[in-house]
Amino acid sequence: MNKIIAIAKKELAAFFKSPTAAIVLVVTISAFNVFFYLIIGERKEASLHEVFKVMEFFFIFIIPVLTMGVFSEEKRSGTMEFLMTTPTTNTEIVIGKFLGSLGFFSVLMGITLVYYPILEFFGSPDRLAMLSGYVGLWLEGALFIAIGLLASSLTQSQLIAAIVSYAILFTLYFSTVFTKSLSGSSEDLLAALTTASHSQNFAVGLITPVDLTYYLAGIVACIFLARVHIENRALE
Amino acid sequence: MIDSTSMIKVKDLVRKYGEVTAVDSVSFEIAPGEIVGLLGHNGAGKTTLMRILTSYLPATSGEVLIGGKDVRENSLAVRRKIGYLPETPPLYPDMNVRDFLAYAARLKDAPAADVDRVLAECDLADAADKVIGTLSKGFKQRVGIAQAILNDPELLILDEPTSGLDPVQVRQVRKLITNLKEKRTVLLSTHVLSEIEHMAQRVLIIKAGKIIADESLNTLLTGAEGEQEIVIRMNGDGDDAVRKIRDLRLPGVETIEVRKLQQSLESVFIKLNE
Ligand SMILES: Nc1ncnc2c1ncn2[C@@H]1O[C@H](COP(=O)(O)OP(=O)(O)OP(=O)(O)O)[C@@H](O)[C@H]1O
Ligand SMILES: [Mg+2]
Repeated sequence: MNKIIAIAKKELAAFFKSPTAAIVLVVTISAFNVFFYLIIGERKEASLHEVFKVMEFFFIFIIPVLTMGVFSEEKRSGTMEFLMTTPTTNTEIVIGKFLGSLGFFSVLMGITLVYYPILEFFGSPDRLAMLSGYVGLWLEGALFIAIGLLASSLTQSQLIAAIVSYAILFTLYFSTVFTKSLSGSSEDLLAALTTASHSQNFAVGLITPVDLTYYLAGIVACIFLARVHIENRALE
Repeated sequence: MIDSTSMIKVKDLVRKYGEVTAVDSVSFEIAPGEIVGLLGHNGAGKTTLMRILTSYLPATSGEVLIGGKDVRENSLAVRRKIGYLPETPPLYPDMNVRDFLAYAARLKDAPAADVDRVLAECDLADAADKVIGTLSKGFKQRVGIAQAILNDPELLILDEPTSGLDPVQVRQVRKLITNLKEKRTVLLSTHVLSEIEHMAQRVLIIKAGKIIADESLNTLLTGAEGEQEIVIRMNGDGDDAVRKIRDLRLPGVETIEVRKLQQSLESVFIKLNE
């Protein structure tokens, strides 16, 4: 547990020193603010529902950039050899790195919490929907991060890692579009796999065991696969 | 040698990369407290062998025991015994030296106070707050050595510890290694024999993946056959003395000459820099 915390802390500190992460943070928050202003100003409705949708869409683009270097850079620079010859288990390494990235993502999300008092000031927002919306968004981000980590564990190249995770996230997010051309059980399956069908519920105040399981199982599966992969990489 | 007393025991070790056999049926044992040099040209298989010993790479076949424990089956226990300096010093360019060593200490279950000890031992105290990316190559190498000696490991595996260092630093590394507490086993690789002089007691020579010699450094340097020299040091002009020795007509003596004492380039360099 100590080592997981040590790795997570180091990862988090690295984000704050990284120019890429800083740019992502500033650009994303600025964009969120603009959308918040536009959406709330136009609709005159004290709800973050639409804003959440925009954020979710943004995550597809920013999370691959945040996670691309997590393993690939260690492999490229040779520090992976150091990490993997210390008495640290691969599980500790992967979980530590996941928590580090999640920490940075949480900081980003935390900044957007200021939207809440603004809404309270101008109207009477549905508090429960807002809370569950945040929970859903955070879980979605966590799943995206786990996918990004998995992609990063596959390669020494940050660029390839970013493209792979972007491709997966894009498919996961937009696959509902294809469900229309399918029918019966394959449609149900695809609908169950796509993130949209799960994030919707959170946005309207519903936290269901199915949706929770979806995100948690996805996160655990990706972390497990990333672990297997860094283990096998040494076998190459 | 009995198995359980060996620090390193390697038996019929083979490692292939596709068609290339980087390590080819290697067997040897190293006893606790021995300082052994692994000598070989570029591409001989030194790094591959060390990576297997540290459990980073699995072997294709063969057996490796570190302190009696199998590197594959008991990988964590083995890693706990080893301090390892990989060929490319493993450094995070954005971290400062102290933070990196503190991080390494936590991963290695070393007490936090150990960081100050290794900073001092590797002469890094002044660089402790510098960012690693801005350090010179030699300093980076020292940081790499510093992380290897954290937690005072029983076995040190150093892949070309002196590469990129200037002669003064080479001496410091030498001192560092010879000053390690008793019973510390050290395996270090190099492709320059002279670099491990005064350090290693024993040398393993590896060529194309095979161990072609396993001898004490003395035997290796003197060789089994060849000429012998008698060295007589004199003050002032030696001509007179030479004439007298020549007159003795000693049996087996071929030439007698007077030479100015040559200093090694290394010691000249060090003197100039003092
Ligand atoms: N990841 C790899 N994939 C394929 N072949 C490799 C790999 N690593 C090493 N080799 C090959 O294995 C052989 C031994 O390489 P190794 O790095 O162990 O040599 P070395 O003795 O450490 O050389 P150097 O003095 O240059 O560091 C070489 O022929 C090398 O090309
Ligand atoms: Mg090498």
